[in-house]
Amino acid sequence: MITEEAFNELLKSAFPDADIAIFDKTGAMDHFRLWISSKAFEGKNLIEQHQMVYRALDDAMKDGRIHAVEIKTDIPKN
Amino acid sequence: MSSSTQSLQEEIQNEIKAHKILVYSKGTKTEPRCGFTVETMQFFDRYGYPYELVDVLENPEKRQALTEMTNWPTLPKVFINGQFYGDTDILDEMAAKGELEPLLKTTFEKA
Repeated sequence: MITEEAFNELLKSAFPDADIAIFDKTGAMDHFRLWISSKAFEGKNLIEQHQMVYRALDDAMKDGRIHAVEIKTDIPKN
Repeated sequence: MSSSTQSLQEEIQNEIKAHKILVYSKGTKTEPRCGFTVETMQFFDRYGYPYELVDVLENPEKRQALTEMTNWPTLPKVFINGQFYGDTDILDEMAAKGELEPLLKTTFEKA
């Protein structure tokens, strides 16, 4: 289980400019749907973008605070 | 004595070369033990191309080697033509963009 603040912090430290939307899929705060938009994804293919997100969440996934994350990445238009 | 990471890497390399579509999964085709594994099987069934599952549920060393190799913490892990493509999160988006069908065609045409 992880709090939304902790989840946000992990992402913000890796993607300071990111817009983030977290959706708790099961109510147990460990299976999430995540939408994240950041300039850091520019020029990266889909796999690389997802791997960047997983790298930011690495600790929380290794220690089981997060079981699964359905990731949707985006690149800000402006 | 578990096989060293070196031979694990070779084992994985041989497997991903031996099958055009290879899914490292939890459970087998006849006894899948995870919803995402079933979802991945159903995904490829829709395209009608043959695929192989390698059950690594009870093999922590191999799972660790795969995770480090792909920088992807979860199972299933999908390889097409020896290339890593994540899981159905990625494949669904590729299919939606029309990128998957051409990839599968060229993968199986070269045989």
